[in-house]
Amino acid sequence: MAALRMVNATKRYPNSADGDSSGRPALDGFTYTFEDGELVALVGRSGCGKTTLLNLAGAMDFPSSGEVWIHGELTTGLDDAGLTRLRRTSIGFIFQSFQLLPTLSVVENVELPLLLAGASHARERAKERLDWVEMGEFASRMTHQLSGGQMQRVAIARALVHNPKLLLADEPIGNLDTTTGNVVLNLLRRAAREQGATVLMATHSAESTAIADTIIRLRDGVVEEMSHPSCTC
Amino acid sequence: MHLLKLFYRVIARPLLRDPSRSALTLAAITLGVSVVIAIDLAGYAAAGSFRSSMETLTGTASLEIAAAGGVEEDTLGRLATLPLPLRFDPRVEEYVRDEKSGLAVPLIGIDLIAHAQRGMVLGEDASLQILDAPNAAWVGKDLGVEPGDSLRIVVQDRVETLHVAGVFAESDEAQGPNRSIVVDLPVAQRIARRGATIDRIEVIVPRTLAAQESAVREAIQAVLPEGVEIRDFGSNTAANRKMMGAFRWNLRILSGIALVVGAFLIYNTVSVSVVRRRAEIGVLRALGLTQARAQGLFLAEAAAFGLVGGALGGVLGLVLAEGAVDLLAATVNALYISSTPAPVSLGWGHFAVSLALGVGVSLFAALAPAREAGGIAPVEAMARGRREHDVKLAAGRNAMAGAALIAIGTAFCLLPPVDGRPLFGYLATLLLILGTALLVPGLVLLLNRATHRRIRSTLGVEAMLASRSLTGSLRRTSVLAGALATAVAMMASVGIMVGSFRETVLVWMDNQLKADLYLRAAAPGSPDSYPLMDAGIADDIEVLPEVAFVDRFRTVPFQINGLPASFGFGESRLMLTQGRMQFLPGQDRESILRKLPTGHFVIVSEPFSRKHSIEAGDALSLPLPGGALETTVLGVYNDYSSERGSVYGDRHVFGARFPKPFLTNVSITLKPGVSTEDGMRAVEQRLRGKQVLLTANRALREEAIRIFDQTFAITWALEGVAIFVAVMGMAGALVALVIDRRRELSLLRFLGASTGQVRALIYFEAGLLGLISNAVGLALGFALAFILIYVINRQSFGWTFQFHWPGWLLLGAMSLIYLATLASAWFPARTATRLNPIEVIHEE
Repeated sequence: MAALRMVNATKRYPNSADGDSSGRPALDGFTYTFEDGELVALVGRSGCGKTTLLNLAGAMDFPSSGEVWIHGELTTGLDDAGLTRLRRTSIGFIFQSFQLLPTLSVVENVELPLLLAGASHARERAKERLDWVEMGEFASRMTHQLSGGQMQRVAIARALVHNPKLLLADEPIGNLDTTTGNVVLNLLRRAAREQGATVLMATHSAESTAIADTIIRLRDGVVEEMSHPSCTC
Repeated sequence: MHLLKLFYRVIARPLLRDPSRSALTLAAITLGVSVVIAIDLAGYAAAGSFRSSMETLTGTASLEIAAAGGVEEDTLGRLATLPLPLRFDPRVEEYVRDEKSGLAVPLIGIDLIAHAQRGMVLGEDASLQILDAPNAAWVGKDLGVEPGDSLRIVVQDRVETLHVAGVFAESDEAQGPNRSIVVDLPVAQRIARRGATIDRIEVIVPRTLAAQESAVREAIQAVLPEGVEIRDFGSNTAANRKMMGAFRWNLRILSGIALVVGAFLIYNTVSVSVVRRRAEIGVLRALGLTQARAQGLFLAEAAAFGLVGGALGGVLGLVLAEGAVDLLAATVNALYISSTPAPVSLGWGHFAVSLALGVGVSLFAALAPAREAGGIAPVEAMARGRREHDVKLAAGRNAMAGAALIAIGTAFCLLPPVDGRPLFGYLATLLLILGTALLVPGLVLLLNRATHRRIRSTLGVEAMLASRSLTGSLRRTSVLAGALATAVAMMASVGIMVGSFRETVLVWMDNQLKADLYLRAAAPGSPDSYPLMDAGIADDIEVLPEVAFVDRFRTVPFQINGLPASFGFGESRLMLTQGRMQFLPGQDRESILRKLPTGHFVIVSEPFSRKHSIEAGDALSLPLPGGALETTVLGVYNDYSSERGSVYGDRHVFGARFPKPFLTNVSITLKPGVSTEDGMRAVEQRLRGKQVLLTANRALREEAIRIFDQTFAITWALEGVAIFVAVMGMAGALVALVIDRRRELSLLRFLGASTGQVRALIYFEAGLLGLISNAVGLALGFALAFILIYVINRQSFGWTFQFHWPGWLLLGAMSLIYLATLASAWFPARTATRLNPIEVIHEE
């Protein structure tokens, strides 16, 4: 079963002035099946639909038409509890600005998804995941004591702590220098290879596309180009 | 003009965009101001503007002549011999009951031939023949009778019928309804059983002699018999007002609590404004905004809240005062003096005070955050996290400052009153509140540290997040906790004080009220008037087969050191054998009471002792009829019946100074085996036709406690408003907290939090804040209760009472407050669950 399957997914936003949603769609008829362990880079100019696609893929938003299937479940068929369960078990999020909670320590940030889901052995699992991103020694620090790269590694650990099948990253290295960005990209690569997670990454950077299995270029909400640079077929 | 534009853009517009929170802050300051204004207006109407109902028909007198037990009327003859152009208006005053309406009304006897205001009463063209009619009376227009009507009144222990000769309207309508009855002096002397005495003589000094008033006094004093004194006109009123001063001051201070709580909330609002707009201010500073103007913008925000809140508070205060005046008047009548409340009116003076209070308190509360705004440098405006971290670092320093304030406050408790007012006690209260507010951030951090590990495992992840959020937003949460804790503390301290007082009074009544039945004249009495009964009544009862013995008691009012007091005498041997009168520690009850009937000895009540600094062993000169009597004070007894202070002696020693055989109270002890009902029936049968009130022991106690509870009803109302303001502020501040933390709350949704978990998180925050506030408030409340009981109350009223913790009352009140705090989270929780996570995260 594919981690994520989108069928003719279209998203229109209501016009802010009159609430009319009949204008040009933010995403138009997107169809693709994302395979387990596949690392997909979404590229394109600002406003091309990358973030909209990520929101639909993360069940944070619903398509105006078409279907989004996450781990075999149709998102539009789920209520709030079902969507929450889906996010707890199947999806991990990584943000450009890290989005760590400043009032929690590093390890507490990482274990948070497990705690929200009521999972057991949260602390041990969080520490393991921190070791995995080579941040184990920073477990008890507060987040304001970390550098940008360290924060993003913690964010990746948090996104992966519950072993999601789908990892959604929105400009994950947008706020990082090249060297630190490469470390973060390597972690995402490992997540796909070692965990078998499907990684869907919205990006502007060439470094990100260089490691991707699939590159989807969007323009005005439609797929302009799709390529598989690492494919040997 | 450009400053106004800046104010609109930086301050006004964001406030308008956040109408619910702005409205809540405004409501807090409005309520705070309104309560202070309401209490002052109501107090003024009930007591402050008060001239006792007796003071109807006062002329332009500047001096008066009076004596304990009355002035012999032949004194007027002596005064007439003075070679001075003075005018003397003799006067007899008695409270009577209008039999038809049941109302207590003043009966005033004046010389209707010669009195300065005769024209107003009789009519300018009235013939003096009208005075020849028997029991002719002129009545105030509000009594509802017409000329020619008969008017039956209860005077002391009997009924008299007056014939209404005319109705008059008092010149000063602002004094409220006029129900007084005016009769000619001889009529008053007869029906009020004054014999050949009058109560006082008003002295009208012409303007030509005004500059020589002291010489006039000396000349008058020289012809007065011993025991009769010349004093300032209205000194009874002044003395009563002075005594009521403490009561009104304490009410004023209590009413200020809501304003203090409001100040916390203004601080919070301006503080939030500064925190939210740090980046904006940083940019403005970079663009050339001066430090002073940055400060000024936020002070202007506070002033705007204060101005609008003050204006609304003044108007609301007028409305609230209308409701409070009857309650206050009931207390004034029960505890101090019989008076009728004047109409409540909001003058420009009070309105200006309400504006000044609103603006002043708001500016004071905004000083610190405004200074902070002035100190913002562009580089500092980067992140909130750092600011909160700074507050955490300052928590230790704040705690030190708080501890220092508490220490100073504690030291203030040891200082004596200033001009009879416990000013240092009030200051100590304020310092303890401020000190505790400064301790709160440290306490929140300590609590977080202590519960750090356990809170998640015991209460869940939502509780942990809530706890962290509180420490993360320490700056504002500690202010909120401070505001609520102050309200809780005042509630707890007043609860403990009133509870202790009530318990002490109950125990005191147990000891003091040992007789089975109590008898007094049916005419209205008050703490300043004691209607007389025929002494033969006690003799009639004493011989009844159901009665074991009776105690005859008489009380007379007198003035000492410009304050009203009462002198009473009864059977001290019965006190020894029957009563359980308690004396201050170290004084031997039995030896004191044994010695009391053996000479010119007296005992004094604790309030009397404290007000006049008279202790056991001191000499006390009593102004009695026939001249001052030098007595020795044997002991100081606990007494909670009157704040005015009492002196007690044996009737066999002092009775001779009061030749007229009248009593004010009789207590009756029944023989063993006689039930109260049987005893009452027998006494009532014997006294049939007499206008007396017979009360059983139990009913007397119930009535005393009813008056006690009624007295403190206004106190509870004030506490309620303070709590309401605090809880309302809590709701507003929680909404602000949700708005400021919308990124974190939205992130939680991304991380798998359900809407229920987000809702629970907000409720936990409110719950934790409520818990901290209640705990801190209770601790502070205990400290304040000690100050209220052992400093403020003792210095204001002279009473000592035993510390008593009304556990159930406090538990109930605090549970209610806690529930209200939780309920205040409903709207913020709703706001939190309705956030759109996508919008919020991408907006950031």
